[in-house]
Amino acid sequence: MKTFKLPDLGEGLPEAEIVEWHVKPGDTVEVDQTVVSVETAKAIVEVPSPEAGTIAKLYGEPGDIIHTGEPLLAFEGEGGDSGTVVGELKTSGKDKKGKAGQDQFIIGAAPSSKRARANRATPGVRALAERLGVSLEQIKGSGPGGLITNDDVHRQASHQKKLGDAEPLRGTRRTMAKNMALSHAQVVPVSIFEDVDIGAWKEGADITMRLVQAIGVACEAAPELNCWFDGDNLSRRLLEEVHVGIAVDTPEGLFVPVLRDITHRSLKDLRQGLENLREAVATRKIPPREMQGATITLSNFGTMTGQYANPVVTPPQVAIIGAGRIREKVVPVDGKPAVRPVLPVSLTFDHRAATGGEASRFLGALVEALANS
Amino acid sequence: MSKSDLRDMTLVEAVNMALHWEMEHDETVVVLGEDIATNGGVFRATVGLKEAFGFKRVMDTPLAENLIAGTSIGMATQGLKPVAEFQFMGFIYAGMEQIVSHAARMRNRTRGRLHCPIVYRAPFGGGIHAPEHHSESTEALFAHIPGLRVVIPSSPQRAYGLLLAAIRNPDPVIFLEPKRLYRAVTQSVANNGEALPLDTCFTLREGDDVTLITWGPCVMETLQAADKLSHQGVTCEVIDVATISPLDRETLLCSVAKTGRAVIVHEACRNGGVGAEIAASIAENAFLDLQAPVVRVTGYDTVMPYYRNEDAYLPQVDDIVEAVEQVIAL
Repeated sequence: MKTFKLPDLGEGLPEAEIVEWHVKPGDTVEVDQTVVSVETAKAIVEVPSPEAGTIAKLYGEPGDIIHTGEPLLAFEGEGGDSGTVVGELKTSGKDKKGKAGQDQFIIGAAPSSKRARANRATPGVRALAERLGVSLEQIKGSGPGGLITNDDVHRQASHQKKLGDAEPLRGTRRTMAKNMALSHAQVVPVSIFEDVDIGAWKEGADITMRLVQAIGVACEAAPELNCWFDGDNLSRRLLEEVHVGIAVDTPEGLFVPVLRDITHRSLKDLRQGLENLREAVATRKIPPREMQGATITLSNFGTMTGQYANPVVTPPQVAIIGAGRIREKVVPVDGKPAVRPVLPVSLTFDHRAATGGEASRFLGALVEALANS
Repeated sequence: MSKSDLRDMTLVEAVNMALHWEMEHDETVVVLGEDIATNGGVFRATVGLKEAFGFKRVMDTPLAENLIAGTSIGMATQGLKPVAEFQFMGFIYAGMEQIVSHAARMRNRTRGRLHCPIVYRAPFGGGIHAPEHHSESTEALFAHIPGLRVVIPSSPQRAYGLLLAAIRNPDPVIFLEPKRLYRAVTQSVANNGEALPLDTCFTLREGDDVTLITWGPCVMETLQAADKLSHQGVTCEVIDVATISPLDRETLLCSVAKTGRAVIVHEACRNGGVGAEIAASIAENAFLDLQAPVVRVTGYDTVMPYYRNEDAYLPQVDDIVEAVEQVIAL
């Protein structure tokens, strides 16, 4: 709002009493139109509007005393008020969509599910470890609260001397080692295998996309496999949407970016999404959130060697599909031997969370969807 | 709270709204300062108060900070809750004697018979192209004084909630408003009269790799740096200290225990700054959790330069990113 202050009425008088408003909020006024009558010590004066505009607000009622320089009324719209008397205030205000932001904060500390860091050690011990070429990550501290001591470092150093230098795992490879061990300790895996005759496919079909879409069909047929299972509390959550983790092999280790909501997206959109994820993995620019939230996983090792596999289910997911190398095989067609391209598929599921029947139904639907032209 | 209570506003408008709310609900609250009544304040923080509550509760004072600080003490000891505005933090020193020797000590000196529920508001910090003595950040001076709370909001909602808490607090509060943020952000604020707690930090972002500790205007650049770092796969926990005295060490230590790394960002000069106190606390109490030295990104140990060089003085997003990269490398 832009305010219009009571001007000096030319008589050197410090104040005036409002007698009558001639406008009300919402009125449109012209320049010089009378807006209010005020009474000074000498006379009744008609105050004209300094500009054309719409009245937003009146300050004061008839009978109120207004001092010279005080706000009399306000016009709608942004005023000529910069909000400061020195310098300039930055105004950004709202975002591009004209929406104000939300302020999000936690009062005090964030609740942390993460344990306090491991590898607690004083800088002196760290320096010793570095000098002896020992990685603290390999050491379980024997001091108070798991603190790594000088002795622990020396022990590890002599251990290393006997075994030779080992390269500590880092980053993705380290995560893989941990996750796989965790999975192995919990999951009760069962695998079933099937061959799919893909002779009906068009030339140059996108194998990964076919697999992703077939997984969508299979999840509909056996939703028990598109599920998050909590083995500690023995609970499960069947999921509406299908988010497929796509295993990607890299020199640094295994990455599993997530292709979201595959049953509600067009083929073109999915393909572009997958390209983007692969690109992000290749350039190591993939943010952690792009690798979270998968409901089921696809491991397509068909570009390499191998037909069938028992891929590892990573909790809380309950199933993983493996796709092997396509090869020509002799298969019966209409009772006669024929040479056809065959895609071997494997399904490994967590038998704590799903039954063999459900898994078999899933695989059946998957195979049928794949076999279509 | 219903959606209709939410209104989009800037930080300075939130200050104004909090003043309106509290004056309406507590008739002992009065407001005084230079140009705050008729003019509505040099930054418009007190606009409309005089019209709503009259000259008796909204007072223009002479240009005399010693008087503003001292009169507030008289009012406070006799049952009012004055909210006094210093036009700029750089003008506050004329009132120091009253604030440090009397307001901060009244409760102790009188063995609890008298106390001073005063809020001393002052816009602080640079970045608006103002002259140098309009741009300083000397919060450490006040954090050093027992008996004073020093509170610094950094968003419209926190300005609203913390100002209400400051007014309701029975002892003097130095309430420093980052003027660089006065109109820089518009966010929705609920006008429900609910105060936020004093003496606690606010965690603005959760992260695992490094704790970024900041307050006031630098919250903006720190959040931007956290965004930038997240694209590099580094997740930052961002903490707005908000009340720099007394300091909520528990929240800071809890976060550093998780991340093992801390970068402190403040606009004030480095020497004897609040960052030093925080770094010392972390060293004393979280030494074994640290993976790297605590690093500070601050203004320089010189007066704020004239405005063409302002950005060279103020901590920039890239300075923060660089500091984080430095501690992450260890």
